Amino acid sequence: MIKLDNVTKVYNNEVLALRDASFEVAKGEFVFLVGTSGSGKSTLLRLINREEAADRGEVWVAGGNINNLSSRDVPKLRRKMGNVFQDYKLLLNKTVFENVAFALEVIGSPKHVIRQQVPAILELVGLAGKQERFPNQLSGGEQQRVSIARAFVNRPLILLADEPTGNLDPATGEGIMRLLDRINKTGTTVVMATHDRNIVNMMRRRVIELDRGIIIRDQARGVYE
Amino acid sequence: MFSRIGYIIRETLANLTRNLTLTIASLLTVIVSLSFVGFVFLIQDAVGNQLGTWKDGVEVSVFMNPDASPDQIEGVRRALEPAQNTLIKSSRYVNAADALVEIKKLFPSTPEMTDLFSKDGQGVPTSFRIKPTSTESTVISSITSTFRTMPGVSIVRSADQAIAFIRKISSFARWGLGVGAVSLLAAAVLLIWNTIRTAMFARRREIEVMKLVGATNWFIRWPFIIEGMVQGLLGAAIACGLVWTGKNLWRSKVIGSFGSQLNFDTLQATAGQFRSVIILLLVIGAVAGSVASAIASSRFLDV
Repeated sequence: MIKLDNVTKVYNNEVLALRDASFEVAKGEFVFLVGTSGSGKSTLLRLINREEAADRGEVWVAGGNINNLSSRDVPKLRRKMGNVFQDYKLLLNKTVFENVAFALEVIGSPKHVIRQQVPAILELVGLAGKQERFPNQLSGGEQQRVSIARAFVNRPLILLADEPTGNLDPATGEGIMRLLDRINKTGTTVVMATHDRNIVNMMRRRVIELDRGIIIRDQARGVYE
Repeated sequence: MFSRIGYIIRETLANLTRNLTLTIASLLTVIVSLSFVGFVFLIQDAVGNQLGTWKDGVEVSVFMNPDASPDQIEGVRRALEPAQNTLIKSSRYVNAADALVEIKKLFPSTPEMTDLFSKDGQGVPTSFRIKPTSTESTVISSITSTFRTMPGVSIVRSADQAIAFIRKISSFARWGLGVGAVSLLAAAVLLIWNTIRTAMFARRREIEVMKLVGATNWFIRWPFIIEGMVQGLLGAAIACGLVWTGKNLWRSKVIGSFGSQLNFDTLQATAGQFRSVIILLLVIGAVAGSVASAIASSRFLDV
């Protein structure tokens, strides 16, 4: 589903973010990216959703090489994946329903699809009944659930999560983790960058550890360390 | 498709009202600049029409001395033959009696004028009225200088000063208003550009999310491009109103009051010409607005 082949990324010709990274993620796999801040976790995710392009090496997503993707084809790639962020990136002037519907609206989904899909996904993430709330009327955990709903509403092949539990207390974070696990069980490939030791140790999934832009560990059923 | 059109309309309206001061500023600039453009074209048309009317009526008058001998008059007549002078289309001789009739017509309310001359027109200067082949000022002045020095000729008068005056007004209007219009139009484009940039900056979070969930660049740009086009069109429409008002005032207050007396009835644009100017203004407004916003929205879209 995702394959990196000797990928190097340098910012502004001087900051080495990632060096010779190679790994492969199978369909339906769950992968933790761990490492200290600045180790290259976010860069890795940004290379996969094509917010950044690799300087050297090749990135493959869903069977296609995305190195030389034209700006017209980037949206097609993005529709195959959902993104979840530490700061949720919700639109504060839109309700929960509208935030999730927005993801479908902007890719041109018809109204009846939106009316049917959005309540279903909100039910799935445990926000049934809170459709008309605005983001700042929700707790952090609930806001993250909205953002997961938005990322997952068009049933992407891949879900990329960048520190999704970073702003949440442990119990809430665990809830989010369980939700991502459930999404993974539907067959969605999940790549999650995290600092959260407890969660990684609890889940016992594949762990890829980065240190200053280099992959130093790639372990099936690993722990945080 | 319908949800998409609804989306574009909603977003465009929201954008236009979100930043009202900037919207108004660019709107006003569009209005003023396009009004200038409109007036430039209307003046151009009006002057063209007036000159067209005068073309046939333009005459050079060669006045003879009252005591010119028949030989001298005959000499001038012969020199005026089109075969003799290629600049002359035709000419006619106005004798003393005819001249007196003309004077009576010109000053109907002051019979004292005609009383200065005797009943049979004795002492009234006779003249030749010449139609030149062209109203170019070089042609007119060449005719003037040829006949001024002929024996028995007292003075040569022509309408070329009036024409030159009109032409001067027209070129002044063209350059003055034209330069103003172009620079204001440039200002309008820059203001629209800036409005769009501000609108995009205000919505950068939304745009970021849109890009992440796979919205195409065009989908993101459309509301902004239409916003720019609406600003341009709205400004053009108001400018059309101003130009229309100006045209009507000119017709009723100036042409209506003085036009026939001073012989410039046709110093105005026709309805057809006015229609073309209106269409031109709307097109310029729409194109300038959408091009400015299209460029701005593509430049600031690379998140």
